[in-house]
Formats: sequence, structure tokens, C-alpha cells
Amino acid sequence: MSDEAAGEREREVSDLRDQLDTANRKLAEAHKMASLGRLAAGIVHEINTPVGSILSNNETVRRTIDALRTIVEEAERNNAAPARKATALLESLSSLTAVDKIACERISSVVRSLKTFARVSESDLRRVDVHELILATIKLTGAMYRRRITINTELGDLPEIECYPGLLNQVFLNLIVNAAQAIEGEGSITIRTRPEADCVHIAITDTGCGIPAALRPKIFSAGFTTKPFGEGTGIGLTITREIVVDTHGGTIDFETEDGVGTTFHVRLPINQPRRNPHHQEHA
Amino acid sequence: MNSDHQPVIVIVDDEDMVITSLRAFLALETDYNVHGFTDPVDASKYLETHPADVIVSDYLMPRMNGIQLLGRAKELQPEAARVLLTGHADKQSAIQAINEVGLYQYLEKPWDNQQLLLVIQSAIERTQLFRSLREKITELDSAHSNLKDVQARLLRAFL
Repeated sequence: MSDEAAGEREREVSDLRDQLDTANRKLAEAHKMASLGRLAAGIVHEINTPVGSILSNNETVRRTIDALRTIVEEAERNNAAPARKATALLESLSSLTAVDKIACERISSVVRSLKTFARVSESDLRRVDVHELILATIKLTGAMYRRRITINTELGDLPEIECYPGLLNQVFLNLIVNAAQAIEGEGSITIRTRPEADCVHIAITDTGCGIPAALRPKIFSAGFTTKPFGEGTGIGLTITREIVVDTHGGTIDFETEDGVGTTFHVRLPINQPRRNPHHQEHA
Repeated sequence: MNSDHQPVIVIVDDEDMVITSLRAFLALETDYNVHGFTDPVDASKYLETHPADVIVSDYLMPRMNGIQLLGRAKELQPEAARVLLTGHADKQSAIQAINEVGLYQYLEKPWDNQQLLLVIQSAIERTQLFRSLREKITELDSAHSNLKDVQARLLRAFL
């Protein structure tokens, strides 16, 4: 084969790799949106409750002010002290404004988590605090599972790591949702983080059913799912492994015991290798 | 329902803010006796010993969901009207609730105070009608057995 033809082949292979890379990213993005969609019901509940309170309080406050005005006007007319009921109305107003403040904080914290989670600028390698990503994911999944699953965190003192934050969000979402789905009824998920030599270690432990021995070798394979149709895409853990191992040069493994639970260990390097801008690396 | 008692409304929501909002609204607009619970298990225990006219419950709660709670309420106090007030935009849970626990009304958050008040007012009326119907039936039963007794004595006297 001539040098020219060899060069041509190499360019073709390189183009195909680029296309595959783009397709993988699109698949990962689609999967992330699908996961987010499944969380939507919980998020809607999380927002509708405080919105309900604020709307109700707004009307109650307006009516209470009307009632107070009547009492004060009557007192002025009679040149007497306002009726005793005024104190109770003022107390009610003060408790309602306190509730409104909590309700607004709740909504804005859900919205903040959504913003952290859904950011699309994941093509940029950035230095971020992994805890910020983990906490946003807990917030969003919490809306769905809070009633039956307690989420504990034991967060160590981590350095910021160089990563694609949008992709890592998805890793944490997949692992937390899987952990929650492994738990029947009530249970807990514990997320521990700690620094290691040149990486950060994130361990996600559930008190679920464990992964049966026969399925353990298959869990990172594409198309493998134990979930009912419509619940699992069968690519969650495949994408998780790709993002951790291929994209970030980290590692992912797990320990599991039937009926006791599973722990996934994710290790992510603090620094990504320097990339030569003229030679695009393909993970 | 005795007319000298204020209607009793039980509100169950694991979010304290919802209870505070509803309590403030009902206190302003009505003289109802409002009992709020953030734990459905506590609400269920309360209903074992205290009659209520209307039970308004959230759906997604820890330990016991709204349908389980209202199902228990139905066993304990079949006449009390059951209302599901949920932020869980899930029609499936609504259908399940209507079929399983005989809901009086299904409302979604964010709710409208005036609509909620209308629902509660008509629910109270319904509960009271049910209770007076039951009292009348009991009276009829007792009158009927008295009559049978008299009839038996008459028969014995003449035969």
C-alpha cells in the first residue's frame, strides 16, 4: 500500500472514530435526559408542594390583612384598643410569611440542582468540586425516593478534580438510581468520598438486594437490564463505565452480597493527562 | 354528628408547610376543629379513637402512603369523607385511590383554597347526612325490635 493510501485509511479511521465518539456522547446525553425524565414526577411533587403553600398563603394573607384593617378601623372609630383577635391574626401572618420563605428556598434549591445537573457545556474539561455534583444529584433523586430511602453522606476533604462535570453528573445519577431501585421498601444509601494518592474515591453503598452471582459479569454490558420495560434502558452502567474509565481514565468496580447490598467504587484522577491540541485523543 | 360540636378536619401531609397553610386558611374562614399530622401512622392512631368528619391526605409520605392511610380510615370510620390532596401528578394513583378507598375527592397541588373549602364543606355535609342516616337506621331497628317484642307479647296474651 502506498504511503498516500495508508494516509487516506488513517484519516478514514480517524473520521470514523470521531463519529463514534460523537455518537457515544449523544447517546450518553439522551440517556441522561431519559433518566431526568423519569425523575420528573418526583421533581414536580417537590415543587408543587411549596408552590401550593405559597399560593394558599398569599390568599390567606390578603384576607387576614382585610380582617385586620376592619378591626383597626373599628378600634379607631370607637377610640378603643383593637379587638383581641388582632393578635391572633398577626401571629398567623407571621407564621405564613415564615412558611413562604421556607417554600421559596425549597423551590430555588430544586431549581439550582436542576441547573447543576442539566448543564450542557460538558465538552469543556473543567476543575470542579465533585461534592457539588453529588449533592445536586442527591437533591433530585431525593424528590423521588425521600419517602422510603435515607441518603447518608460521609464526605471527605477532596481537591477539585479536572473533569467533564455534565458527564459525571450522569455517573452519580445512574449509580444512585440503581442503588435506590435495588432497595425494596425502606433502606439507605451511603455515599462516602475520600482523597487518594492522585485520585478521588467515591463509594456508593446501598442496603439493597445485592447483585446475583450469575449477573455480576454482565452488568457493564450494553443491552443488559433486569428492570421492567420502560424503567431501564440497559445502557446505564455501560455509559457509567465509559464515562469513568474511557473518558476520565478512572476505575469503577463493585462489591456485592446477596440480601446485604452493593457498593460501587468510583476512582477519578485529580488531573487529566495533558492533551496535544494538534492530536485529538480518542478514548 | 352532634350539632353542638364543630366539624373535625384531619389533615395529613409530611410537609409541615402544607399543614400550616391549610390550618391558617381554615382558621380564618371557618370554625372547624383542625388536627394536622406530619406522620400518617400518628394520624391513623388518632383516627382509632377520635371521630373525624373529613380526612385530607397527601399521597407520597414515608411509612404509609395516602391511599394506605385513607384505606385504614375507611375501616375505622367509614362515614368520614376521604380527600386525597397530592402533588404527585400521577393519574394512576388517583384511579387506584378512587377504586380502593372510595375517595370523596381527588385534588392536586397546587390547590385552590376556595375549591378546597367547597370540597370540605360538602364533604362535612355528606358525612353528617351519613351519620344521621345511620342514627335513623339504628332507631328504626330498635323501634322494629320493640314492635316485634310487643307483637310477640300480644300473640302470647291472645293465643
